[in-house]
Amino acid sequence: MLKTAIAALGLGMAMGMSLASPVLAADAPSEIKLGTLYASSGRYASISMPVHAGLKLWVEQKNAEGGVYVKAFDKKIPIKLIAYDDQSNTATASTLYNQLITQDKVDLFVADSGSVLTAPAVTIARDHKMFLFDQTGTGGSFFSKDNPYIALMSDPVSTIWPKPIADFLTKDGPALGIKRVAILYSTNEFTGTQANSLRKFIKDANAPIEIVYDQGVPTETTNYTVILNNIRAAKPDAVIHLGYAPNDIAFLRNVQDVGIKFNMLFCIYPGLETELLEKNVGAKGLQHVFTYVPPSEMAYPVNFGMNIADYRKAWDKKYSDGKIEFGFNAVAGYTTALVIEKTLSVATSLDQMELRKAVFSLSGKLKTLDGTFALDETGGQIGELTPLGQLELNDHGHIKFVAVYPHEVATGKPVYPRP
Amino acid sequence: MLAYPLIAGVLFGLYFSLLGIGLNLVFGVMRIVNLAHGDFLMLGAFVAFGVFYLLGLDPLLAVPLAFVLFVIVGIVLYGLLVPRLQQSRDPEMLSIILFFGLSQVIEALVTIAFGTSERSIPSRELGSLMTAAAKALGAKPEGGPVDILGQSFPAAWVISAVVSVIAIGLVYVYLYRTRLGTLTRAVMSRRDEAFATGINVDRVCAAAFGIGLGLAAIAGVFAPFMFGSVTPAFGADATVTAFVIVVLGSLGNPLGTALGGVVYGICYMLVQTFLSSWADLLPYVLLILVLLLRPSGLLGRKVRVA
Repeated sequence: MLKTAIAALGLGMAMGMSLASPVLAADAPSEIKLGTLYASSGRYASISMPVHAGLKLWVEQKNAEGGVYVKAFDKKIPIKLIAYDDQSNTATASTLYNQLITQDKVDLFVADSGSVLTAPAVTIARDHKMFLFDQTGTGGSFFSKDNPYIALMSDPVSTIWPKPIADFLTKDGPALGIKRVAILYSTNEFTGTQANSLRKFIKDANAPIEIVYDQGVPTETTNYTVILNNIRAAKPDAVIHLGYAPNDIAFLRNVQDVGIKFNMLFCIYPGLETELLEKNVGAKGLQHVFTYVPPSEMAYPVNFGMNIADYRKAWDKKYSDGKIEFGFNAVAGYTTALVIEKTLSVATSLDQMELRKAVFSLSGKLKTLDGTFALDETGGQIGELTPLGQLELNDHGHIKFVAVYPHEVATGKPVYPRP
Repeated sequence: MLAYPLIAGVLFGLYFSLLGIGLNLVFGVMRIVNLAHGDFLMLGAFVAFGVFYLLGLDPLLAVPLAFVLFVIVGIVLYGLLVPRLQQSRDPEMLSIILFFGLSQVIEALVTIAFGTSERSIPSRELGSLMTAAAKALGAKPEGGPVDILGQSFPAAWVISAVVSVIAIGLVYVYLYRTRLGTLTRAVMSRRDEAFATGINVDRVCAAAFGIGLGLAAIAGVFAPFMFGSVTPAFGADATVTAFVIVVLGSLGNPLGTALGGVVYGICYMLVQTFLSSWADLLPYVLLILVLLLRPSGLLGRKVRVA
C-alpha cells in the first residue's frame, strides 16, 4: 500500500514537473528565427547599417558559443538571422515585413532602424499579432494602450526624448538670456514627434520663452541656406534643429558656409553619430553645438552583456574596414540584441504575448551599455535617457562632450552665447 | 525677404542647369533616357573625394579630371550598349530599362566599395587654389561667404554657378561653333537624314554620350558642396531633379536646360521660403504643370525643328 502510494506520488510529481516545464528539450527547434530588415542604400542607410551591424555582431558571437539560452526549451539554440534589404523604401519594407511573418514564419520580429522604416512594421505586427522588437523607431504614434505588440528597445520614445532640451531652455535659459527660440524640424514621425513634444514642454513650462520660428521641412531637404536666412530674420537666441543625420550634415555645413553664428544651436546627430558628423562637418563646425549625450560618453555600468569599452573593441575587430561608423546606432543594435537574449532566457514559450510579458519583466532591471532599460505601459522606452550636452574641442582639436543638463549629471557649464 | 531666395535661386539654378544639361544632350542626340545620369553624377563626386582625400589637392581640380575620365567612360559605354539598343524596335523605352539596371549596378558597386555613409569635403577647400580670385569676388578669407547685393551666399554656390555658366557656354560653342557640333545638331534634328547624307552617326553619338556623362561628372564634383553630402544612393534623386529640369527647359534642347535650371532654382527657393514643408512636391508639380500647359517645354519648338 505504501509502495503504491509512493509510486503514485512519484508519478504525480513527474507529471507535475513535466507540465510545469514549458516544453521538452527534445521538442526544441534547431534554430530560433530572427527576422529583420536593414537599408543598405538610400536615405536611412547611415542609421540602419550600424544598427544592423550591432545585431549581426551579437548573432555571430552567440552562435559561436552554441546559440542563446532559451528557457522555453531549457537549452542553447542557434539564432538564424533572416534579414532583407528594404533600400530605405517604406513600400519595399512593408512587403518584406509581411514576408518575414507569412513566408519565413520568424519567431522574433525586429524592425529596421528609425521611425520611418519602423512605421510599416508597427501596423503589420499588430495585424499578425506578432510582438515587434522596435529597435529605434521612437515615433509617439507607435505606442498606445490598445497595442500590446510593440516595445521600444534602444532609444527614449520621442514624446519624452527632448525633455532635457525643453527643461534647459525653460529653467536655465532665461537666466542665460535665452528668450526667443526657433524650431526647425524634418516632417517625419521621429523628428515631427520630437518637435511637437518640445513645443508642448516649452508651453507647459510657462517660462518667458517665445517660439519665434516654427517650421517643418521635408526629410529629403539637402539645402538650408534660404531657410537659415529666414531663421536669422526671426532673431532667435536658440535654434533647435531636429532632423536625421543627412539633414544635420547639410544644415551644419550651410551654417558654416553662410557664416551665421547662432547663440545656441542644437542638433540631434552630432551626439548620436559623432564620427559621421565630424567627418562631414569638421570638428570646428561642431564646436559649441548642443546635442544629446550618447551612452558611449556616459559609460553606464552594466549587469548584462558587454560594457561600452568591450563592445567598441569587438566592433573595431569585426568592422575594421571603417565603412560603418561606430555611434549611437551601433550601440542601439547591440542593445536590442541584449534585450532579445534576456527575453529568451526568461520567456517560458515563444508565444508572442509571452515574449511581451518577458520583455516587460526586464523593465527597470536590465542595465546595458545603453543605460537602464525601462518601459512605460505602452511599450515606449522611458529609460536610456540622453542628457543635453555641448560639443567642445579638446587640446588636440578633437570633439569632446560636456554634459550640461540635467545638473546632476552635468560635467561642465554651457558656453552661451556661442563665441 | 524676396531678394535672398531670388539670388539664391539663380545661383543654385545655374547649378541645376549643369545637373540636367548632360542628360538632355544624350536624349537630344540619341533619344535615349539615361536613368543612370544621377549615378554618373555621384561618381563625379567620388572623383572629387579622391582628388581631395587621396591626392590632397583642391577639389576644383577634379573638374577637368572628372570630365576627361567620364568622356572616355561614356565613349566606351556607348560602344558597348547603345548601338544594340538603337537596333531595337523601341530604343526610347528599352533605354529606360537598360539604364535603370545600369544605375542599380553602379550604386551597388559603389556601396560595396565605399560603404553607405554620407561623405563630403570641407567647403573651404573648394577653390583653395583660387583664393585670390574668390577675394576679388568679395569673399572673405578661408572660403567664407560671398556677398551679393548685400546678401551672404556660400562661396561654393558662386564657384559652382561660375563653372556651370562656363560649361553651358562651352556646350553652346561645341554645338554652334564646331564641325562636330554642327553634325551633332544634324543628328538631333533628323537622325535618318543625317545618316543618309554620310554623317558618321555613331561617332557623333559616341562623342555626345561621352560629353553628356562628362558634364554629369562635373556636376557631381560640386554635389558634396551643394547638397551637404553624397552617398552611393544619391543618383536616383539627382536623376529625378535633372529630368524635371530637362522637361521644364525642353527635352532635346541642351540650351533650354539652362533656362529650366534657373526657373527650377528660383521656384525651389521661393517654395522653401514661403511653404517649406511642401518643397518636396515642387519637382512633380512643375512636371505636371509643364506637361499640361507647355508639353514641349519652355524652349521646345525651336529644338524639334532645329
